Amino acid sequence: MNLNFAYYKAKSILGLSLSLAKVKFKLRNEGSYLGVFWYLLSPLAMFLILLSLRGLTNKNPIEYYPIYLLLGLIVFNLFRYATTISTNAIRGNAGLIKSLKINLEPFVISGIMQAVFSHIFEVIILVLFLFYFKVSLLCILFYPVVLFFLIIFIIGVSFILSTIGTYINDIENVWNIFLNLLWFSTPIFYSTSKDIFINKINPMYYFILGAREIIIYNKLPDFKIFLIMAVFSFGFLAVGLFVFEKYKKSFAEFI
Amino acid sequence: MTGTRIRVDKISKKFNIDFRKNEGLLARVLYFLPRSSPKRELLAIEDVSFDVKAGEIVGVIGKNGSGKSTLLKIIAGVYAPSFGEVETTGTMVYLTGLGQGLVPRLTMRENILLMGSVMGLAQNDIKKKLGEIVEFSGLKEFIDSKVYQFSSGMITRLNFSVMIHSLKHHNPDIILLDEVFGAGGDIDFQKKGIEKMEELIRSGASVIMVSHSLEIIKKYCQKAILLDKGKIDFMGVPEETVKRYLNNK
Repeated sequence: MNLNFAYYKAKSILGLSLSLAKVKFKLRNEGSYLGVFWYLLSPLAMFLILLSLRGLTNKNPIEYYPIYLLLGLIVFNLFRYATTISTNAIRGNAGLIKSLKINLEPFVISGIMQAVFSHIFEVIILVLFLFYFKVSLLCILFYPVVLFFLIIFIIGVSFILSTIGTYINDIENVWNIFLNLLWFSTPIFYSTSKDIFINKINPMYYFILGAREIIIYNKLPDFKIFLIMAVFSFGFLAVGLFVFEKYKKSFAEFI
Repeated sequence: MTGTRIRVDKISKKFNIDFRKNEGLLARVLYFLPRSSPKRELLAIEDVSFDVKAGEIVGVIGKNGSGKSTLLKIIAGVYAPSFGEVETTGTMVYLTGLGQGLVPRLTMRENILLMGSVMGLAQNDIKKKLGEIVEFSGLKEFIDSKVYQFSSGMITRLNFSVMIHSLKHHNPDIILLDEVFGAGGDIDFQKKGIEKMEELIRSGASVIMVSHSLEIIKKYCQKAILLDKGKIDFMGVPEETVKRYLNNK
């Protein structure tokens, strides 16, 4: 396969992904005067609930707790939203996939783009908080580095889930339960001073840790953390692409 | 350009039917389903071989369930063959039915952009073609109306206009048509649609068309294939093939 061909293929995959994502974004806001506000309502409600329970959940005070909490929530939310869409990415577009010779990757990638769109709105809210708490806004410019690894990680997980979701139709329910477990084992509303095993094997722990160090505490995370992020993200990406590539030929027959 | 564009070499396609696919994870765990649950195999396509040259138009006829659509899907690459192989050269388009990707809650303009990208066009190319597509459909005054308010005739016009312009844009070497020919709609639009279609399939591309309209097969094809239970029953000049098909009934 020559490079030119690969370039055009990548371009057409991204083009279709973007069109599909735009359409879904539009449809979600269609006829709603509050528009994007609905994207923010759910994480904001969660944020307020957890913030009001502050005394119960944390014995030790955490510096800039509201930002600490909000950042944890929106980073996890990106993962939750994108991967949940991906469980139904192939099956949900059965009509198109069965009747056109079409690349299948855009159906997965468009869901991730949709999640990233809404993540951007959440980040804007975060910036308002940073402003209010007078935390330096400069360091958020380095957040995309963490976001990059996180998106690569999400792409990998999404490709795996969409493949499984093609063959097993209740994977979404199973995944929801798993997401809840993962949510509670990630220090989102609490902090861990000791090393807990469940955190160490949880990829989301490192992404949230990295994001917090950069944005809130304005310091460069350990090189070790970057390394772990890179291993998780590119590891999952490799597995995801391999699995998807291997099984995509027979997707049309199973949906 | 001459030579063989499509070479179908002894392909067969097996489907497992009746097996408990779509059984959810929960059910599988609960009932300890063995992986080899009862299943039957259906041979939808059996040992089919033929060639299509550049500029040749080949028709495929047969009863329902004889494997016509499956054959086309295999050539298009939507399904992988169980045995044998398909070789194609050049750009290929595959079409079954109209209106792939039509979203009723979007406006006509948004739908054209979406359907165009589903058909494999870049956004810039569709935007360039937008005027032409709208012009052809004759729905200029409704371009910013939402499609769910369209009549079925208007939807037919929209679908066909997007489809034909997208196909032409690809300048395909191979065209696979599954029960798609002409436009439908009123007499004027039908006429316009058939003209466009003729122009497209006679532009030198290799065409395989599946159709139940024997008239269309006789009119356009140079060769016709009669499929019966997944096998080639007869292959030859369209008149002969159609005769056999009618006699077999």
